[in-house]
Amino acid sequence: MSSQSRSATMALLEHAETISQGAEAKIYRGRLHPSSSSEGPDAPPVLFKYRFHKQYRHPTLDVSLTKSRVAGEARALIKCLRSGVNVPGIRMVDAAEGVIGIEWIEGKSIRFLLGGGAEDEEVVVDDSDDTVEEEASPAEDPLQEYGLTKDAVMLMIGKEIAKMHKADIIHGDLTTSNMMLRHPSSLKGLQLVLIDFGLSYTSTLVEDKAVDLYVLERAFASTHPQSEPLFAAVLTAYEREMGKDWAAISRRLDDVRLRGRKRSMVG
Amino acid sequence: MPGRVKKRSPLKAPERPYIAIGLEGSANKLGVGIIKHSPDGSVDVLSNVRHTYITPPGEGFLPRDTAQHHREWALTIINDAVSKAGVSLHDVDCICFTKGPGMGAPLVSVALVARTLSLLYNKPLVGVNHCVGHIEMGREITGAQNPVVLYVSGGNTQVIAYSQQCYRIFGETLDIAVGNCLDRFARVINLSNDPSPGYNIEQEAKKGKRLLPLPYTTKGMDISLSGILTSTEAYTTDKRFRPNGPSAEDGEDIITPQDLCFSLQEHVFAMLVEITERAMAHIGSKEVLIVGGVGCNERLQEMMGVMASERGGKVFATDERYCIDNGIMIAQAGLLSYRMGYETPLAKSTCTQRFRTDQVHVAWRA
Repeated sequence: MSSQSRSATMALLEHAETISQGAEAKIYRGRLHPSSSSEGPDAPPVLFKYRFHKQYRHPTLDVSLTKSRVAGEARALIKCLRSGVNVPGIRMVDAAEGVIGIEWIEGKSIRFLLGGGAEDEEVVVDDSDDTVEEEASPAEDPLQEYGLTKDAVMLMIGKEIAKMHKADIIHGDLTTSNMMLRHPSSLKGLQLVLIDFGLSYTSTLVEDKAVDLYVLERAFASTHPQSEPLFAAVLTAYEREMGKDWAAISRRLDDVRLRGRKRSMVG
Repeated sequence: MPGRVKKRSPLKAPERPYIAIGLEGSANKLGVGIIKHSPDGSVDVLSNVRHTYITPPGEGFLPRDTAQHHREWALTIINDAVSKAGVSLHDVDCICFTKGPGMGAPLVSVALVARTLSLLYNKPLVGVNHCVGHIEMGREITGAQNPVVLYVSGGNTQVIAYSQQCYRIFGETLDIAVGNCLDRFARVINLSNDPSPGYNIEQEAKKGKRLLPLPYTTKGMDISLSGILTSTEAYTTDKRFRPNGPSAEDGEDIITPQDLCFSLQEHVFAMLVEITERAMAHIGSKEVLIVGGVGCNERLQEMMGVMASERGGKVFATDERYCIDNGIMIAQAGLLSYRMGYETPLAKSTCTQRFRTDQVHVAWRA
């Protein structure tokens, strides 16, 4: 990467608006051509994810990790897009600088919609003017706006994950904050979108797919203690989409669940 | 969490002073501590005595020998703790012991001592989860309110956060504990076990300069350490490896044991800090508390400090008296649950090697 393109990437971030700082990266909302006049004010915004330098890490280690994570995320997204999994499209990648630019998704995270509160890390979704306070009254179901029941959302989640696994992509960090519902009024219409592929990798192993599901199951249990039974609906839809591969994954998932308990204090 | 209503603590101020003795022996340290909770809410450490079973370089501690060490030293250490505290065992309110997790044989031998004391002095027993002991003592000493806890020791590696009367495990090791990883590598390069292998690794790492590539294995909130140990060990059979430092004819491209200690620490600690940061971002906390034997490591504390200040937060750490296994933490956690009305009947005063942190009902917190 030449020093010129380096500064160009950083210039993009300078013009962008900071949305939040997660554990790993800073999130910005900006435009690919902030200064050019050819792009009107209503050109679609882009989400920049900037994996900044971590001071606590050894510089050599930090550089190689950042590079491989940005590249890995981009690769996984492209593979998902090719296989028809709903993920944000890629707009730009600068692995040396640790920046990836992806499509801005208008909508809310599943975590928020299920009443798990907004996560600091994922306030990406809370950009609109009608931002709801964290202590929202439980009487209003945010899902109404999307015209969906909780069960319908669970089925969408299960189907999307199955599509991703059929493409042999393992997400690595499936939680309800890493899924969004695209707002029905947006260009592509209502969709369930998987986001944040920072920990994803490619694998054909039943083991990895089962662990991926197990991670989501644990996330449901800890973030949405009341909606735990809903996870069954996720698995139903997953099973339907996976077809004959389901049997092996199901068996392994039972194993992994046991392992989680047995794992206690071994070491 | 922001915007949360402050809840009243279910633990009432004691109407009289409470004294508890804690007996700890889940690994190679035998610890006895006596603690006092006063009506004004203050907590005093009356005594905190420990004796460590140290094995020769290149050897770990075996359960049978460790248990024997504890049996041999139990009376001496208890007498020492009681006389330093200046109280009689007749004055204590309860006898706390480590129920688990840990090595079976040492646990059992210490529990036997606790049971004997309980019958001799007619005092109630309180079984304590070792990990909860670490957390409660860390909170007490540092004054951290609701931190994300990184618990790193020879047998445990967990990222823990409190919610709804339970210490929930957000991330943990999938195979071996971080202390185990460091200790085993210390054995490979024949470092002394005195005062502890981890301490000696830390000193060696300060002299290391070269960062060698090792796997970096965070799995979401979890980490895996066994492969890193194998990879580090593999460097000791590399033809560039010089166990006794560089000789005169060596060029730049050599590997010393110091470099390996340095590289191992940098990788492993970076992973620990990363999963801790993820947990902090997840629950929106700005405090980190490091407990457990590896928590003494100054490099780990330093890295954690950098991470916390980048997030506008703060690190709480304790020194070796409270980081390394000790009796006082068992007394502290035991007394908290005793004050909530919890006792362990004699018939149930068993030990268990597997006792997860999240199995404990934390009755004393809101």
